[in-house]
This record gives sequence, C-alpha cells and structure tokens, in this order.
Amino acid sequence: MKRFLTWWTEERRAYLLLVLPGVLVYWAVMAFPTVFSLGLSMTNYNGGVIFGNPNIQFVGLKHYMRMFNDQYFWISLKNNGLIMAVSLFGQIPLGFLFAYVIHRKLIKFGSFFQTTLYLPCVISTIVVGRLWQAFFSPYGPFTKFMQRFQPGWENELAYDPKLAIIPVLFVILWMYTGQYMIIFLANLQKIDPSLIEAARIDGASEWQVLTRIMFPALSGVIVTSAILAIAGSLKSFDLIYAMTSGNPARRTSVLALYMYDTAFKHSPNYPLANSISMFMVLLSFTLIVLVRITEARFGGREE
Amino acid sequence: MKTAVKTKIRKTDFHPLLRIFVYLTVLVFTVLTLYPLFWLVISSLKTTTEFQRNMTGLPVNPTINNYPTAWRLAQFDTLFLNSLFFTVASTLLVILFSLMAGFAFAKIRSKATPFLHGSFVIGILLTLQSIMVPLFLMAVATNLYNTRLGVLIPYVGMGMPIGIYLCTEFIKSVPDSVVESARIDGASYLRIFAMIVAPMAKPVAVTLAILNVSGVWNEFMLVNILVSSDALRTLPVGILKFSGPLASDYGRMFAALTIGMVPMVVFYLIFRKQITQGVSAGAVKG
Repeated sequence: MKRFLTWWTEERRAYLLLVLPGVLVYWAVMAFPTVFSLGLSMTNYNGGVIFGNPNIQFVGLKHYMRMFNDQYFWISLKNNGLIMAVSLFGQIPLGFLFAYVIHRKLIKFGSFFQTTLYLPCVISTIVVGRLWQAFFSPYGPFTKFMQRFQPGWENELAYDPKLAIIPVLFVILWMYTGQYMIIFLANLQKIDPSLIEAARIDGASEWQVLTRIMFPALSGVIVTSAILAIAGSLKSFDLIYAMTSGNPARRTSVLALYMYDTAFKHSPNYPLANSISMFMVLLSFTLIVLVRITEARFGGREE
Repeated sequence: MKTAVKTKIRKTDFHPLLRIFVYLTVLVFTVLTLYPLFWLVISSLKTTTEFQRNMTGLPVNPTINNYPTAWRLAQFDTLFLNSLFFTVASTLLVILFSLMAGFAFAKIRSKATPFLHGSFVIGILLTLQSIMVPLFLMAVATNLYNTRLGVLIPYVGMGMPIGIYLCTEFIKSVPDSVVESARIDGASYLRIFAMIVAPMAKPVAVTLAILNVSGVWNEFMLVNILVSSDALRTLPVGILKFSGPLASDYGRMFAALTIGMVPMVVFYLIFRKQITQGVSAGAVKG
C-alpha cells in the first residue's frame, strides 16, 4: 500500500486523467474493432448473438479463399487499381501543375483559380455523386454536348459495363485534384524566395529552377501525396455509392462497396465482409511500405 | 516569411505553345469545375416539365417553388439539426481529448507514452471501411444502434488519431520551461493544462476544427449503417434518400442537392485561408 502511494504521484494521476478519455474512445471504436474484424473473418459467425455463442467456430482462411475465387472481388480490385492510377498519375501531376502556375504567377487571377479549383473538395461526396450522375445521364448536359458533334449519339454510359467506370474516374479526378494543388502550393510557399531569385540572377533558367530547386524541395511532399492518394483510392466508396451503386451489373464496384454489399445487402455474410476489409488494410499497408522503400532507395537527397 | 517572388517568369522562359497549353488546361479545368455547379443551380429553378423540355438552357420562368417543397419532403430541418449536432459535438470532444492527451504525451514523462501514442499513429492509416462491420455488430450488441450516442462515439474515436498527432507536435513546440516554471510555482498538471496549454493551443484547435467539421459534416457511411430512423439522419444520408436513383421529380431533386451544397460552399468561402492551411497541415498523414 505504501509502495502504491509513493508510485501514485500527482504526475501519474494527471497523466492518466488526461490520457484516459481519448484512449478509451479510440480503442473502443477503432483499435478493438480492427482486432475484432480480424477474428471475425476467420469464424463462421452469421448473425445472432456474438459473445458467448457456442455455434461460432473457427474456420481459418476459408472466407479468404472464397473471396479470391469471387469474380466480383477481382472486378472491384481492378477498379480500385484504376482509381489509384488516376490519383497518382492524374491528380498529383495536375495538382502540381496548377500549384506551380499559380505560385509562379504564370497566370493572372491566381487566387480566383485557387479558390475555384479547390471548391469540389468541400462539397459533400453524395451531392457530387448525384450531380454527376445527372450530368452524365441521357437527360444531362453531357449527352447534349456529344450530340452537337455527333447527331443521334446515344448515351450508353450508364448501361455499358465497359464504359461505366469512365465517368466515375473522371469525377474522381475532378473532385480531388484541388486537394493536391493546395498541398503543393502550401509547400512551394515555404521555399525561400531569395533562393530562387539568386538562382535566376546567376543565370539559371526557369526550367532549372523547377527541376533543381522545386522538385528536390518538394520530394517529401510528393511522397506524402502518393501515400495519401493510395490510401484515398482504397477508401473510395461514398462517391461511387451515390453515382452508380456499383452498377451496371456491379461493374463499377470497388472493394469497399463489394464489402458493403456483402455485409449489408440480401443475406449478410459478415466473415466474408471482414475478410475483404482485412485484405484492404493489408493492401494499404503494403503499398505504403513500398512507397517508403522506394523513397529510401531513390529519394535520397532531402533530409 | 512571405516576401513576394521578385524575379518574374520571363516571356522567353517557356515555349509559347507550352504556355498556351498550360493556360488552356487551367481554364478548361476551371470551366469544368464551375459549369456543373451552375447547371445544378439553374436546373433547380425549373419545374420538372420545363426541365424535360429544356435541360441545359437558362430557365424561362424561374421558380423557387422547388425549394420549399424539397425542404418539407426531405425534412431538411431535422437533417440540418442532426448534422449540426454531430459536427459540433464531435469537433468539441475531439479537440478537448486530443489536447489533453497531447499535453500528457508531450510534457509528462511516462513509460506508457511510446505505446499509447504509437497506437494512435497507426490509426491514421486505418479507414472506416476496415471497422464498419464490427462497429455495426458492436452497436447492435450494446443497444447503441439507432441512438445519437452510437454515432457520436465513433465520430470522436475516428477524429482522435490526427488530433493526437497534431496536438502532440504542437505542444512539444511549447518550451519546457513554461511548464517547469509553473510546476515550481506549485501548479498541478491539470491546472497547467487548463490555464496555460489550452489557451495557447488556439492555432492547432482551429486546424483540427476545420478538418473535423469538413469531415463529419459530409460523412455518409457511418450514419448510413448505424441509424435507420428518420429522426436521426444527417444531411448526406437524407439527401441521398430523397434524390437517389428513384427520384422522379427533377426540379425538387436539384433543389435538394443545392440545399445540401450551399452550407459547405459558404463555410469554405468564409474560412478559405484557414481551410487551406488546415488541409496542408492535415496532409502530414502517413
């Protein structure tokens, strides 16, 4: 008892009191569910009481096998891959271009463009999804626009399983490019202007400023953006749910939607849904580690 | 810090064609950003009959009748109140809990810190999808399904990782001597937190508020799976229900979408600077 009292100092009490609320809430709704999800993915649980239910058995990796044999898993994974490609090779380069053009005042009214280009990011994904669904639908402006060039053009974007993903990819590019622009812009502004000035006075061309000063200074941010893009593209759900619900014939599904359908539509299959989410977590971690390794190998110079 | 770049780009720096191409890209993207929003607003000012005759042009007889009808049918007052409640309550709690824990992690020595702090940092990478099904099952098992509390707790938990990260970094930058001299004067840690640290932490609290408000206000999935009653729905869920694939009255649908869009756009235009800073500060993730 005496020992405990000397250990139980004001410092320790304060620490506990300060840390406890955050830790409790966070562990209850994030850390525990993650572990729970892993466990559940290896059982045969299918509704009813979870805790203390004698019928729940350990089934190992059965649901993972089933997932890998499901064609919708591969369709969804492919769509996630396409979204990732648009994010990495569309959003990030375009975002950089806009940031560079605005920062170096290559274009007038920079702050107007900056405000406008970021605007889509603040609108609810549900509104954006419904808006663009209407925009691309047979009664929307897109059809009108195409018919101006090609009279009688029929809009089959919503029915053709091969084309249906294209509007989705476009909207993803539309919506999040501004986010990368803002990130790059904030970091371009951190570069000491006198550095650029000195380089220009010493006769460096603008191209050299770009490649010798700006790119190296931004390399860390580019890596962060890549990680953000990878994690973000695996997360995509709301937008597609609002725009296409994964249709036609689940051809625009993504992993998150595939999991949602498995868990909450028709007859729920919770273990399979948890296998899918575990796969998503693993994939996300793996890709992020890969980016880090690439950075360590080739990034080199910046601190 | 913010001296303007004096050496401007010279005309000769880039090939004229390249310049034109860059101009065009920016312009096209800007038009593509604004036109759909413009189309949404003008379409909401048409009756459904007019919309079907004239889908892209300006309204001939603009009407605002769609707005009151959509407001009533989609129960926008309930949706707004719920969204407001979840956003404000979760933001305040996230800020408070993050500052408290961040202060302990940054300024009170403890062997538990690396483990606890680390567990939050991992959380930055976790996404709602990976915990969606367990959260639903847990909510049902604890009778928190379809309750305000059942939605609020996960919102707070999900806001914690980035909150802890930003607050710990911020409070670390406060000199130790500030805390030490207050200790010497006999102040308890809780008193130091309330009297010194919390008032100093306004910048990080603003960043956190911006990130959390825009996240929770637009959040759809969690409410969608944890709530089934109309009385607890938030804006995104209600809007999707009202103007989802089955909506047949276009005028009202566009009005509902516009009502859903306007608050965040206004919020953005007012807090443009803070949002921009918040986004780039929040991007330290990963």
